[in-house]
Amino acid sequence: MLSLSSVSKKFSGLKALSEVSFNVESGAIKGLIGPNGAGKTTLFNIITGVFPPSEGTVIFLGEDVGRERPDRIARLGISRTFQQAFLFKSLTVWENVMLGRHYRSKAEFFSCGLRFPWARREEKMIREQSLEYLDMFGLVDKKDRIAHELPMGEQRYLELARALATEPKLLILDEPTSGLNDNERAGFQDSVCRIRDMGIALLVIEHHMKFIMEVCDDIVVLNFGVKIAEGTPKEIQNSQKVIEAYLGTEEEIDY
Amino acid sequence: MAVFKDKNKLAWSLVTAGVLILPNILGEGYYLSVMNFIALYSIVAIGLCLLVGYGGQLSISHSAFFAIGAYASAIFCLRYGLHPLISIVLSQSITVPVAWGIGSVVLRLKGHYLAIATLSFTIIVGVLIKETAWLTGGLQGLGSIPSISLGNFLIDSDWRFYFIVWPLTMLLLLFALNLVDSRMGRIFRATRESEDIARLFGADVKMYKVKLFILSSVYASFAGSLYAHFVTFISPVTGSIMFAIDIIMVLAFGGFTMLWGAMLGAASLTFLNEYLTIFADYKRAIYGLALIVIMLFFPNGLLEGLKDSGRFLLQSARKVGRE
Repeated sequence: MLSLSSVSKKFSGLKALSEVSFNVESGAIKGLIGPNGAGKTTLFNIITGVFPPSEGTVIFLGEDVGRERPDRIARLGISRTFQQAFLFKSLTVWENVMLGRHYRSKAEFFSCGLRFPWARREEKMIREQSLEYLDMFGLVDKKDRIAHELPMGEQRYLELARALATEPKLLILDEPTSGLNDNERAGFQDSVCRIRDMGIALLVIEHHMKFIMEVCDDIVVLNFGVKIAEGTPKEIQNSQKVIEAYLGTEEEIDY
Repeated sequence: MAVFKDKNKLAWSLVTAGVLILPNILGEGYYLSVMNFIALYSIVAIGLCLLVGYGGQLSISHSAFFAIGAYASAIFCLRYGLHPLISIVLSQSITVPVAWGIGSVVLRLKGHYLAIATLSFTIIVGVLIKETAWLTGGLQGLGSIPSISLGNFLIDSDWRFYFIVWPLTMLLLLFALNLVDSRMGRIFRATRESEDIARLFGADVKMYKVKLFILSSVYASFAGSLYAHFVTFISPVTGSIMFAIDIIMVLAFGGFTMLWGAMLGAASLTFLNEYLTIFADYKRAIYGLALIVIMLFFPNGLLEGLKDSGRFLLQSARKVGRE
């Protein structure tokens, strides 16, 4: 589904990523882990088109999207959530999800301003469908609240609802459980599995190891912009290289 | 939002009925002329509110588009002998490509830079109007512009113009209200907060901004055309920078992010303007002072401020009632 081959990114000489390659298969949850500054978020930004890779290709559903604009990539079916939950402050909870339906609808300026019958029908559809996504995460009661008034746990769910409203084929989660307590994290884990069962592929950055080990089918480990390991959670847990990256080598610890 | 929407519809119906009944109660009078100017300024302010308040693009070019609308329509009428109605429509076909050209260049800029770039455009238009005297009459301006006529019916009095301009204003307001509460409105509000993230929701932000700029400019230019045929005289003062700043003050006064605020702002500032004439040269100073007071006490504009005060008074009254 998504295939990265030798993706590199330089920021004015500083190499943030070098030659990273991996695939995300449809219907699978892929984890992306690594110490701070390993280049995980940079990689997400490349996939979603925030900036292009310096070298290498990103293929999504057979199309080279490496140099595509973010809105085009979104329309192809990649949606994401953010490290710091990003919800639009001037929109209500409901409207945030309606925004997710944006490119699944098409009424333009004049049809919207003049409320043509078909635009009216479309708007009604947007409202109803968004409500279903809110319902999926039990947020219907809070639909008229301003989004950032919600507690962190619910903001995370709202982000998920909004991302799902775009009907993505690949959903990218950037540290989705940061700011959640253990209880909330367990609930969130179920939601992530539910999303996978809907047939949506997921790519997840997460620092919480228990979460990532339990939820992912497959994990890629980055360190200083280089892929140092890829495999099942079990393989990763036993990989010497990964342990070194996270804990340092023995010599380093000893000095 | 459903309740909110209905409230808007209700308010719109009430205000529309109100402005249409008003002259039938009060009869002829000087206030009609004041009301007509309020309508014209409201149209500009509503357009600017869409762009600045909802789209987040601070632009100081609306007086230039007002002038373009006014001059284009007057020139079509006077120099080419076209019917005023045709001139008004044709003028918008000048505004659209100009706004499109300017918009697609300057909207790459953000914040202060955008404001400066649009301000420069206003200055350029001002200079062009003064320098192309063969076309625009230069500093002397253009006089005896024909009034709008519908068949043999000439819209040449305050009373008649009132019943043309107010329905149009209310329709343009309705269009804006509908637009804001639609998929396009939501994407604009999202764009105001973060263009990058709006893009991640599939919005072609660059194109949307340009389209919004065009729409907003057409509001200004349309008001300009109406103005030309109503006042029948235009001069470089018509589209001066002072006017651009006035319109932004209107929004600051009424509240940047509320279309109703734009109308309230236009009404209050026009009234201030009219009834402060006794202070002559100090008028502007009082104007400025009023704005400072509003900004200090009601940073979200007069309308939001009045709403808040209303709520506060209601609560206090209830409290007193209970005790």
